[in-house]
Amino acid sequence: MKITPIIGLEVHVELATKSKMFCGCDASHFHAEPNTHTCPVCLGLPGALPVPNKVACEWCIKLGLALGCSINQETFFERKNYFYPDLAKSYQITQLQKPFAINGKITINGHEIRINRAHMEEDTGKSVHVNDSTLLDFNRSGVPLVEIVSGPDIKSAEEAKEYLNKIQQIIRYIGVSDADIEKGSMRCEPTVNLCIDDQYYTPLAEIKNVASLTGVMNAINYEIKRQSEQFEIDHQEKNSTNKTTRGWNAEKSETFLQREKEGSADYRYFPEPDIPPIIFTPEQIEAIKATLPELPDDKINKYKSYGLSDYDANQLADDKSFSEIFDKIVTQNDPGYAKFVTNLLIGPLKTISIEIEKINPEYFKKLFDKKSELSSTAIKDIILESYQTNQDPIAIATQKNLFQVSDTGALEKIAQQVIDANPKAVADYQKNPLSIGFLLGQVMRASGGSANPQLAKEVLEKLLSI
Amino acid sequence: MNLNQLTLAQAKEGLAQKKFSSSELVSACLDQIKKTEPQLNSFVTVFEKEALDQAKNADLSKPLGGIPLAVKDNFLTQGQRTTASSKVLDQYLAHYDATTIERLKSAGAIIIGKTNMDAWAHGSSTETSDYGSTKNPWNINHLPGGSSGGSAAAIAADQAIISVGSETAGSIRQPASWCGVVGFKPSYGRVSRYGVIAMKSSTDSPGPICKTVDDAATLLEIMSGADHHDATSISEASWVRPVKLASLQGLKIGLPLSYFPPQIQPEVKSSILAAVETLKKLGAEIIELPDVLDPKYSIAVYTILQRSEVSSNLARFDGIRYGHDRSFFGQEAKRRIMLGTYSLSSGYYDAYYTKAQKVRTLICQDFDRQFQKVDAIIGPVSPSTALPIGASEGQAMFGEIQDMLVEPSSIAGLPGISIPCGFDQNNLPVGLQIITPQKREDLVYQIAKLFEDNTEYHLQRPKL
Repeated sequence: MKITPIIGLEVHVELATKSKMFCGCDASHFHAEPNTHTCPVCLGLPGALPVPNKVACEWCIKLGLALGCSINQETFFERKNYFYPDLAKSYQITQLQKPFAINGKITINGHEIRINRAHMEEDTGKSVHVNDSTLLDFNRSGVPLVEIVSGPDIKSAEEAKEYLNKIQQIIRYIGVSDADIEKGSMRCEPTVNLCIDDQYYTPLAEIKNVASLTGVMNAINYEIKRQSEQFEIDHQEKNSTNKTTRGWNAEKSETFLQREKEGSADYRYFPEPDIPPIIFTPEQIEAIKATLPELPDDKINKYKSYGLSDYDANQLADDKSFSEIFDKIVTQNDPGYAKFVTNLLIGPLKTISIEIEKINPEYFKKLFDKKSELSSTAIKDIILESYQTNQDPIAIATQKNLFQVSDTGALEKIAQQVIDANPKAVADYQKNPLSIGFLLGQVMRASGGSANPQLAKEVLEKLLSI
Repeated sequence: MNLNQLTLAQAKEGLAQKKFSSSELVSACLDQIKKTEPQLNSFVTVFEKEALDQAKNADLSKPLGGIPLAVKDNFLTQGQRTTASSKVLDQYLAHYDATTIERLKSAGAIIIGKTNMDAWAHGSSTETSDYGSTKNPWNINHLPGGSSGGSAAAIAADQAIISVGSETAGSIRQPASWCGVVGFKPSYGRVSRYGVIAMKSSTDSPGPICKTVDDAATLLEIMSGADHHDATSISEASWVRPVKLASLQGLKIGLPLSYFPPQIQPEVKSSILAAVETLKKLGAEIIELPDVLDPKYSIAVYTILQRSEVSSNLARFDGIRYGHDRSFFGQEAKRRIMLGTYSLSSGYYDAYYTKAQKVRTLICQDFDRQFQKVDAIIGPVSPSTALPIGASEGQAMFGEIQDMLVEPSSIAGLPGISIPCGFDQNNLPVGLQIITPQKREDLVYQIAKLFEDNTEYHLQRPKL
């Protein structure tokens, strides 16, 4: 039986705007005292009206642009009607017919994954279950959410993870959310089914309540296994009414049936009469586009053009502020220098948290120019100290006498002294040239570590061969 | 003459000249309420003590300082019972003031009570109120109209000096017409909807119901203006009444023939035609409009859109909050919720909701076309004068039929007014409506004001 998983992901991202989507309440809710960030609007009180948050709309467009989407210049909000205790108005304001952004794509290892849409909506409140009671916290009610819907293009749990990593990276790059899955500011709902033997399609299952990246992968893998086993038993194929919603039990590591016949759910969408259509002119959209930073893919391509490896380029681009530090130091295509700086940044400087303001590009350049006269250990120590004390690295090297002695005359003098003082070691060397290590160590020690090891070895060999 | 019988302009003058105090004015209204409420039932709640307390400290320098105001019970008034005449909200105390209430309070108005209405504003009779029907002060065997029937009756019966109501399709103009008072329905968005319990969000328009055109204009000046709490509010400063006209010379006023349907009451027709003569004498050129879209289409459009929005707007009263559960909804609300839920359901949405929106566009375009020929349109507000108590029972479409002549302009978001223009043989008032293009309240005011200055219908009071 040939099994091809077909996976689509719905990602909800809470925007980090100051205020909520339709009122002036503080939009932060993590660990806030319940029901303290509320007002008539987000409590859905009688007579209250939603007024859209302009910044949130702009950020939704920005996110859409970063995902390669086209932007609908004229959009509108709609009401999605359904009952839930933590849904204050008994409808959610969202977008169905005209999302802000449509038809984007991102590429994972050369495989294109379509982004069908990115639309703007509001979050619901939270039901907190305590013993037999349910408490309602409306702090989250009305927090701006962008829903990003991928095409059914993802082929494996691993690829789903990479897709989510990429989305998260892009969101963090443009700074519209911290996109933290554990904190709930980014939430994912995979929809999974299988293509069996290139001709049968199993019923769709949408998986809810997945609260971690590992959870997403485990849930998808579980579902792939469950559906293929189920298909062997009942040969049931997907149709318009047999989509199900399944919950994810992280403890048992299994999905369980929540709702059947999802196809028949009727949310009675209609245009939100309280909010006039939203219009962004091409100029306004261009202005938003102009605020986009260089995105991860662009960075990676640029770094590769500097001659850096895939690994190095990805390491540097992984985090926006980190890549900005690199960009501050390396401003043009200079492969040798780029590699030198990369090694320092993902080496010694990665062990401490560095701030871009404290980075002096000139110091890196100076160190690079002198690198042949310094041992690699010395370079690491110098750059750390230079960063921490804001001192010229050359001054540090000089002061600590770290420049390697490359003067043959001076080295010969030291080497001769070592040879004279260690007749036994010399004898050993005569029998076995590989035992030069001891003598070399003595030369290095006598030079206070400043001898160029390669040169010292050559000098020793020359003197011993006489 | 008792103080409660004064117009706003007269009351302000009297207060300013210290002929009487705000306490005396408020007391006069409260006395009238005590005397007439057993018959009329205009109020759901009366705030006797609060009103008297506020009257003691009234700031007479404010535009409505010390003036007793009656408020339709779908406006939220902070800390006070606000029911929209539905038992679902029987014990609900509003958490905040509607924008309009905030503005009227800052202008010094004293809320003496919340007026009766059709529950959730569903109707044109007040008979769907869970607190019993209001009676028409001109004849207590007749209906006051609705849904702002309590406010219109309170003004007609001099229970308050000024009042506010809200219109979605006729709910200000029709009761004003049946009660012989002035009801000014502004353009959609002219007055903020924030804090008014939503009925049909896309046409809900709060507005004044008063004794004279100038009184209504004074209230509209205070109530109007952009509100950052309402995304559909017109982003302009407060409306200010224009200067009065000496004549209507040069104005073209349209008379749509379709606004005189076959079932129209003869005295309504004759009163309107008499009003036409008055307007002609004042210099207006009256132009018959033979091709105005039949108002019956508006009934269908309104019915679908209103029910659809209602089904969504009332969903928040889910039994978890606000005290009472959904079994407390009356028959009318249940009917509307069910029909609206149906018309929004998948498979029916396009056939009903989408189609209704398309016809709505046609109605708006029809007005645009007519307003290329005329500056304003006049007609009867209602095909009849006040109908007897019980007329709405068993008539699911009662409101739509009674409001058919005001529904088109409501659907198009246009401003309009109802002013007294005659009486039938039973001495029940007839209302004339004046409609203009959007945001032309200035023209509504000018025509209404000149008509009122040259007629005496508004001076007649019911005998109670």
